[in-house]
This record gives sequence, structure tokens and C-alpha cells, in this order.
Amino acid sequence: MKFKDYYETLGVARTATEDDIKRAYRKLARKFHPDVSKEPDAEARFKELGEAYAVLRDPEKRAAYDQVGSQWKGGQDFSPPPGWNEGFEFRGGDSAPGDGADFSEFFEALFGRQSARPRAHRRTAHAAGEDHHAKVLVGLEDAYSGARRALSLRMPALDAQGNVVMQERKLEVNIPKGIHAGQHLRLAGQGGPGIGGGPAGDLYLEIGILPHRWFRVDGRDIHLDLPLAPWEAALGATVNVPTPGGRVQLTVPPRSVAGRKLRLKGRGIPGDPPGDMYAELAIALPPADSEAAKDAYRAMAKAFDFHPRAHLEEGS
Amino acid sequence: MSDAEPGGLRGAIVEEELRLTLVELCRACDAREEEVTAWVLEGVLDPEGDEPRGWRFGGPSLRRARRAARLSRDLGIDAAAVALVLDLMDEIDRLKARR
Repeated sequence: MKFKDYYETLGVARTATEDDIKRAYRKLARKFHPDVSKEPDAEARFKELGEAYAVLRDPEKRAAYDQVGSQWKGGQDFSPPPGWNEGFEFRGGDSAPGDGADFSEFFEALFGRQSARPRAHRRTAHAAGEDHHAKVLVGLEDAYSGARRALSLRMPALDAQGNVVMQERKLEVNIPKGIHAGQHLRLAGQGGPGIGGGPAGDLYLEIGILPHRWFRVDGRDIHLDLPLAPWEAALGATVNVPTPGGRVQLTVPPRSVAGRKLRLKGRGIPGDPPGDMYAELAIALPPADSEAAKDAYRAMAKAFDFHPRAHLEEGS
Repeated sequence: MSDAEPGGLRGAIVEEELRLTLVELCRACDAREEEVTAWVLEGVLDPEGDEPRGWRFGGPSLRRARRAARLSRDLGIDAAAVALVLDLMDEIDRLKARR
């Protein structure tokens, strides 16, 4: 296990005041919040920030961390000295920003899992269980035609001692035909167990679409990059293209140019109305890798009075 | 939690088939009723129906409410600021889609 320097994570000095720490956390949280951030590793960074802040904002945890932390540097191998946290009493159920159940092994070694409990408690006294959420990725074909998929979900649960443990369970779920990215599927009664005989909570699955080797999905619409030979684009052609529902013959009109989109109405993700499919044309040049091919290019050069950079010339 | 039914679990697509009540939405995004009510007053959410008990949240409400809940919890910002952030994020999405 590596030692984590929480002060370094937040970019503050060990002598920082509570206000300094809060300010540093908020500033970095705005930068790396997964809902807002464009940084590629935003989610991981945000988790680290949340963990660092959960420790340093809490005077008890910070004092405990400082006592053990003065002997280590970030990244060094670390194991907590035996009995190091005697004499510290931690208040349980402290809600931390972010998803505390995912705090690092290092955090758990110091503070145990129960201190990482994330939930802000609802004030209302529902007997119903908590709703759970999970993100699932399904294939484009699944969304297109509907499918039954086995999902394996990990979730934190409390064991008999009140510690947080990861529970895994498997579910067979019907992915409805026509679902698209960003939509949620509600599975009634599949969330947390109810309290005092109350009904179980619901499970919400947020649907994402796995990247496909050919298609890009945008809501209900599907995009395909379609390369054409120069003569196909110039003269028109009928080409065989894949769609999620099977291959079709697509007519490319003469004088097509790169970047033009051909719409295949209603061939996107099914629904009311169904999405469309767009084939975006690109021109692929045949390689000039033989004398015959070079001659063909030379003949083209001779046959055309072609100025592709006319618009870049002075005074144009 | 029951085991999977033989035919696989059947869920409802929230955005298309469901209209969530205030209580359901609060549970689904782990927010308090006062918070959700404040978001409605700031225009973050636009339920059908006139008063809180009759509110029905459809379409993108769940996604927006969960986002609002995360932003207010993680960044410590109030309902008006949440509304502004979500509006700006929508604007960014629109601008990106136009390119």
C-alpha cells in the first residue's frame, strides 16, 4: 500500500487552516467534478479529492492522519503502525463528498470502511428501502433489437458489524428495444431492502452504448463513415453498407463530395419516431503503388484543368 | 431483493414510460423534498401539475435532478447556482451539437 499525501492532493501546506482546505477543495472540485470537467481523468481525480477532503476537513481524522503522516511521503510504501489510532474516537456516519464507498485501501487502513459511508440521510421517515443506481453499457445491437443481458452489479452493503462490504449480485435484465444512451431503466423492487417490512427500493440503470467498430450513436441517430472511391463519388454508384438492422444497397448520387451526409430515414434506433442513419461520405484515394496506377493519375492530371487551391491564391 | 425472474427482469424506461412523483424523484436522486422543490422554483426541473403533491416529473427530469443533487452536494452551491450551472451546461451541449 502506498502512503497518500492528502495535503499534496489538495495542494495545501500542512499548516493550512480549515478555510484554506475548504477553499482548495472547492476550487479543485469545480475543476474535476465529473459533471463539469473536460479532463480525461476527472472521475479518478475527483475521487481522490473527495477522500483527501473527507480526512482533512474533519479535525479528528486530520489530527490522526497528521500523527501518522509526519513520517511518510506520498507514494512510499506504507502500513499503519499497530495501535496507531488508539485514543482517537471517530464519529460514524459522517457524510463525505463523492462516493465514499470507493475510498482507497489506504483510507480504509487508517479509518476503516464504516467511516467512508457516503449517504446523506433523507429526513423523511420512509419505510421503503433505498433506491440504487448503476451504469450499464449495452451493445448497439442490443438497443436496436432488444436483448436479455446478464449484469453483474457490485454494491456496498453493511455487514453484521456495521462495516461496509462489497456485495456482488447477478441480474438478468431485458434491455428494451429502442433504448438509447442516457436513458434510465427502472427495475421496481430491486434496490435496497425495506425497513420494518416496508417495500424494497428501486434499482435505476443508466444506459450507455458500447463503442461500435462502425457506427457512432447520437441519441436515436446512427452515423457511419462511408469511404468511396473517387469515381464512385464523381459518377454515382450503388454501394453495399451495413446498418444495425442488416446490410442495404445505398445509392450514392453523382457529383457527391466528401462530408456530404446521406440519410437513411428510419434506420436508426427504433422508436416513435425511429432515429435515422447517416452515412457520411469520405473519399479514399487509391494508392499509386504501381506503374499502371501512376499512369492513371498522370492521365487524370492531363484530363482535368483542376485547381484545388484556387481559393487560396492571391487576389482570389 | 428477489432473484431474477426466469424470463429476465423487465424495467420501465424512465424517460418515456414513467412520470415520477416528488417522493419518487427524491428517493431516486437521494435529495430532500425541500431541495427538489427549490430546483423546481429555480426552473431546473419543470414538472407537470400545479402543486408539489400533484407534480409529475417526466423526460429528462431524473438525469437533471441527479446532476443537480451531485453539484449541490459536491460543490456546496445553492439552487440558484445549480440552475445557472445546468443552463450553461445545456448551452455548451447545444453549441457542440451545432458544430
